[in-house]
Amino acid sequence: MAAADSTEKPFVLIETSDGIEIRVDREVAERSVLIKNLLEDLGPEAAEQGAIPIPNVNEAVMRKVLEWCEQHKKDPPAAADDDADNRKKTTDIDEWDQKFMQVDQEMLFEIILAANYLDIKALLDVGCKTVANMIKGKSPDEIRKTFNIQNDFTPEEEDQIRRENEWAEDR
Amino acid sequence: MLRSRRPHRSSSDSNSSSTSTSPERGIDDDNDSFTLQANDSTSSVALSISQDLSDLEMERQMAERYRLSPVSRLPAELMIAIFSKLASAGDLKSCMLVSKDWARNSVALLWHRPQTNKWQSVNTVAKSVNTTNSYFDYANLIRRLNLSTLAHEVTDGTLWPLSSCKRIERLTLTQCSSVTDQSLVRMIDGNRSLLALDVTGLYQITDRTMSTVAANCIRLQGLNVTNCKKLTDASLQEVARNCRHVKRLKFNGCSQLTDKSILTFAENCHQILEIDLHGCNLLEDDSVTALITEGPHLRELRLAHCSRITDLAFLRLPIEATYESLRILDLTDCGELQDAGVARIIAAAPRLRNLVVNKCRHLTDRAINSIIKLGKNLHYIHLGHCARITDAGVQQLVKHCNRIRYIDFACCTNLTDNSVQRLADLPKLKRIGLVKCHNITDRSLQALAMRSRESQRAVVGPSSLERVHLSYCLNLTLAGIMSLLNSCPRLTHLSLTGVQAFLREDLIVFCREAPPEFNDHQRDVFCVFSGHGVARLRNYLNADINIPGTGFDTDGTMYDDNIDDGEDDGIGDDEDGLGFVGMGLDLNAPPDIVVNIGGTPSPPSADSNTPNDQQQTPTQPVQNIVWHPAPPPPTGSWNGMGLNTFNSSGSSAGPAAIVQGASSAPPPHPAQQVIDMMGAVDMHDEEMDDAGSPRL
Repeated sequence: MAAADSTEKPFVLIETSDGIEIRVDREVAERSVLIKNLLEDLGPEAAEQGAIPIPNVNEAVMRKVLEWCEQHKKDPPAAADDDADNRKKTTDIDEWDQKFMQVDQEMLFEIILAANYLDIKALLDVGCKTVANMIKGKSPDEIRKTFNIQNDFTPEEEDQIRRENEWAEDR
Repeated sequence: MLRSRRPHRSSSDSNSSSTSTSPERGIDDDNDSFTLQANDSTSSVALSISQDLSDLEMERQMAERYRLSPVSRLPAELMIAIFSKLASAGDLKSCMLVSKDWARNSVALLWHRPQTNKWQSVNTVAKSVNTTNSYFDYANLIRRLNLSTLAHEVTDGTLWPLSSCKRIERLTLTQCSSVTDQSLVRMIDGNRSLLALDVTGLYQITDRTMSTVAANCIRLQGLNVTNCKKLTDASLQEVARNCRHVKRLKFNGCSQLTDKSILTFAENCHQILEIDLHGCNLLEDDSVTALITEGPHLRELRLAHCSRITDLAFLRLPIEATYESLRILDLTDCGELQDAGVARIIAAAPRLRNLVVNKCRHLTDRAINSIIKLGKNLHYIHLGHCARITDAGVQQLVKHCNRIRYIDFACCTNLTDNSVQRLADLPKLKRIGLVKCHNITDRSLQALAMRSRESQRAVVGPSSLERVHLSYCLNLTLAGIMSLLNSCPRLTHLSLTGVQAFLREDLIVFCREAPPEFNDHQRDVFCVFSGHGVARLRNYLNADINIPGTGFDTDGTMYDDNIDDGEDDGIGDDEDGLGFVGMGLDLNAPPDIVVNIGGTPSPPSADSNTPNDQQQTPTQPVQNIVWHPAPPPPTGSWNGMGLNTFNSSGSSAGPAAIVQGASSAPPPHPAQQVIDMMGAVDMHDEEMDDAGSPRL
């Protein structure tokens, strides 16, 4: 058994919220800091004993997330990026990621939530940038339409906010 | 067991139970300040309607809401993460107007650093801050306030309405020189959040302001009081005792400071990373010794023009002790320094990367024999005016310190082509200064050019040289310069002021404009090519096969085009990001642009604040000489000009000091003005000595 394992890549089993077990290379799964820390805490043999339950992510989302992790498994560990730098590069998403993020809004926000829960900083970042790009350059009304948001301001409130933030313009 | 690190959604039901990620909770956590004034208006969000409904009904409603608008399932922290990717204030303002939820999650980002680069913006910001019943409590959202763009137009009246902003972490008032204690004390009083304060050039402020800082700002990490000349030991001692977390200090030109305050900083503040004492010319050795021994993290120590510093500052360091953190040491014009002092500090600080001993005139090749112990650590060395060093010293330096990127030997008049031929071996050399090394000839240029050709063959790539300073190297000819131009593709700066071969109408068109305050005579010899000018000169010369010979008809005007471009001095290595906004120049900008940033350059600059003080403080008679006007040397006596000066450490203080100098320094003799690449016109003190009464 041990001999057989050593020829294979180490893997882990993940159990999604809807009870599906997914087998995945450990290297890929460890893009998630949450899973990585779990495996470290539980020790090497734990991974072989049973699936890791991830109760907040369903199968469809998990498969999507793992697809991203597979693509990025060789990426260098996330540097402690300062947000100031990221702020300037909203549109700076690499091509593969852009395609990857071409999903409906429901999936997009599920991916962001999952990336946050699983602690995959780079994926969370790509998700946030994608949403930010959907906001950029739009009027408040266009934003509401894009995301189907109710305007719960009274006209007076809206006017007040507009006035009080008059200084804010595109630099 | 599983660690649920971020249990936003309960494990039982991933979909509907994500209601627990209610945005409200996030808001309360992150933005509690919002509620201070805007409580009534903001509490009426749509969700609160459902409070009376049964849990089941509420869940149903939430599920419906998520289905209709998937974005609504993101908790506040993730909405904030998204908004933080928006660089434009306009986009953030649009977000604020989308809905109440969105407004609460974006307002803090929008007001973190309000636009204050235009009067209109400042006025509307101030108005919103002071509106009673404003929608949000804007005053407490402002974390950064920077009025340096408006600089001199800013008055106490500008600051006054902003003084209710008590959570400002960075206050940058660089060159807001009309501001006084009156508004600043009010602004700072009650602010416990301040991390960085830059009041460069607020020459009217007194100990009152600094006492207020000491009494309130216990978190302070960065303090820049450059040219706040009224400050005394009394208030800065208070700061040192109360603000023990300070890391970066700039006291440039605070000429009243003595060992008293600096020793208090050394004793109390053990986290100092950088301290710049440029022109604090009352300081003595004890301060320096204490800063080094008491500051285990000290990385950058600048002592330019602290003319009382002697070898003892370093000889008193405990034997065997080493200070591994120290990377940058600026000893410009610490004229008492001798070889023994250099030997000791090199031994004590083996990881020095930048060393400036410009104008430490006593130094000899023996000092270089100590410096070479830095080996590969040394990247930046300034030996300008160390006129006693010889080719032998340079040879040693090149042999042991082959990672040098920046080197300056201005006015090292002993040096010959032999030195430059050695220097050409430095593989990483980007910048070389040889102003007034009048022995060098085209052979030096050929060596620099050859070097690149050889390295190309060795697949090292083209020459790394970017900036070459050859002003007043009067033996140079067009042919030599051409070989340099054609072998250094990265060259962006070439100064040839006073080199007769280049004072031709057809070449001068590619030269940068002389600074506006130069007189005709100065314009006649000014010759600096930068940015695209270098490429255009190269193209022109290559196209022009008719290169006339050169004749020496030198008019002895004394400028220096020297600079401190600061490219390697570690200013960019802002490890924890607490550098001062106001003192940062864009080091990557091409020189032409930098000049503009410097504002209107006025005669004397960075260096000048020091001599200015010294004139008021007659304890420095030697320095006073520099202000006596003297006639330019007679035509043709270029050899007699001898020394020149180099503003080595002025880069960070440059723009700050210009104004100060302009307003209060005595008018320099035109012949003493020197253009500095950073946009500062420098007053080069030694030139006076050399022209009038040579000191050596």
